[in-house]
Amino acid sequence: MSEIRPIGTEKVIEVTDLVRVYKSSQGFIHKKKKETLAVDRISFSVKKGELFGILGPNGAGKTTTIKMLTTLLIPTSGSAKVLGFDVSKHPYEVRKRIGLIIGGERGLYFRISGRQNLRYFADLYGVPRQEREKRIEDVLRMVDLLDRCDDRVEDYSRGMKQRLHIAKGLINDPEVIFMDEPTIGLDPQASRDTRKLIKDLLVQGKTILMTTHYMFEADELCDRLAVINKGKIVAMDTPRGLKSLMKDTCVIEVEGFGLTDKDVETLKAIPGVRAVSATMNEDKQVLRVQVADAGEMLAPIAGRLSGSNVIDMKVKEPTLEDAYLWLVEKND
Amino acid sequence: MTRLRALTSSFRHQMLHFFAEPQWLIPNIIAPFVMTLVALMLFRNSSGNFVLYAILGGGMMGMWGNTIYSSGYSIQFDRWNGTLEAVLATPAPLVWIIAGRALWNALIGILNAVFIFIIAVVWFQVPLALADPLLFFLALFVTLLSLAALGLVFSSAFVLTRNANVLTNGLEFPIYVGTGTMFPIAMLPAWSGPLSLSLAPSWGIDAMRYSALSGYVGLDMGYWGDMVMMIILAFVYVTAAFLLFQKVENRVRVKGDIGRI
Repeated sequence: MSEIRPIGTEKVIEVTDLVRVYKSSQGFIHKKKKETLAVDRISFSVKKGELFGILGPNGAGKTTTIKMLTTLLIPTSGSAKVLGFDVSKHPYEVRKRIGLIIGGERGLYFRISGRQNLRYFADLYGVPRQEREKRIEDVLRMVDLLDRCDDRVEDYSRGMKQRLHIAKGLINDPEVIFMDEPTIGLDPQASRDTRKLIKDLLVQGKTILMTTHYMFEADELCDRLAVINKGKIVAMDTPRGLKSLMKDTCVIEVEGFGLTDKDVETLKAIPGVRAVSATMNEDKQVLRVQVADAGEMLAPIAGRLSGSNVIDMKVKEPTLEDAYLWLVEKND
Repeated sequence: MTRLRALTSSFRHQMLHFFAEPQWLIPNIIAPFVMTLVALMLFRNSSGNFVLYAILGGGMMGMWGNTIYSSGYSIQFDRWNGTLEAVLATPAPLVWIIAGRALWNALIGILNAVFIFIIAVVWFQVPLALADPLLFFLALFVTLLSLAALGLVFSSAFVLTRNANVLTNGLEFPIYVGTGTMFPIAMLPAWSGPLSLSLAPSWGIDAMRYSALSGYVGLDMGYWGDMVMMIILAFVYVTAAFLLFQKVENRVRVKGDIGRI
């Protein structure tokens, strides 16, 4: 993305040694206290106009990081500033200037219309009353929801609800937008529309921090990425830079049916195999095996899978997903 | 200005939700009907004043029941919906948002009282002659605000709990008893006196009875004394609510469980 538009030098998000520990207790008489380290001394900064992505497995600390930056959680230690305001000390100043877009079905009032939802949030964000209706029209047009905006949200499709989430996150015309898995659960068309909208926002000069599970999305949209695992940043670079970590690696793609998790484990045990990722559909399974030398490894891999129904084996260039898996497995 | 907008828009928002679910009207009709029925059966052979006394109590019970139940449900609904986190992410302080909703909930509680009066007059043909209608409606209005203020104090606890409904159920009857809506405070043991008098609606119901019933002798301070005490206590509640909400907002940001259901 950075090739097609300029990115400023001003840092709008600055995170230094940020830590978040969740404390919980179980039991009534014999209380058992538990501490969970969700984010472990992470540091990064995001420049004006940049789209910064955070990738990581479930429970890695992505959402916790977004919640701290949007003032919903107080950091245990370290500091985080958004547009120069400390998120712990000046939460209201931060909230005025940011937008939060979350993925999923929750976070909207279902029994009232999309327009009424936006009007309520416009009021809570203090959008000037004389600008409010125009602003609502603008964001509804932006997310292509004008024709259904007066219907109740409970009658919306999953994609329409997500578009309303986006409209809600833009209602106060924020300088910085936080998106937590904005395309989760969307069909391909709705996902593509959302990605186009994100690109339009970048062209308008907005700064975006986004989490996602979809590697192609991160590759297509993000200027820079941080890979986070078990609360720590294990790598931070441009998508191209992360892919270049795999320059000494080849990927052997194995396509078959009837392949199981046991086959994945078998392949992982072969000396010379760096990582294995699997897409296990009912009708077809695709395994991506990372190796240093494809020529040398084809035969042992084929040998281990000799009793399985393998349709095809190809040597491919590593993708961002391969780099991500390698980083997560290496730091597990 | 943002705060006032949060208050007025939350009031409107709560109204929209009320009209979006017409079934809300069912408890608003059935509960008052049952309350009036019980009151009239108990006091059937009493003088007219005593019947009015009982009906006022029933109306007040309806108002408080609605205020506390709707306030609790409103927060519970937001938590289940994931919108409690969404409103917390806005620059509007939570106390102003909840205050707007509590005001609507208290206002709609009047419906209960109105239904009780209508049922009493139309169905059971109880004569309703208010001694001083103007003072009565003034007391009713201020009592309404004091109920909203009391509801606001309790709402801070609703934000912290995952199941506000349990708390609302628990808070309904102690207030009925403590404020003297069910029976006179004088009938309660002496130790509960200070507790009852610390509840603004106790003074409100007394003021309403002073203005509705000629020759009524209630608390020593008379109508205007009741009104002053009620207003002072309502201010104390609002101040306490603001302090509590500051603590609550900070606590949910520390604990990080606002989105859990």
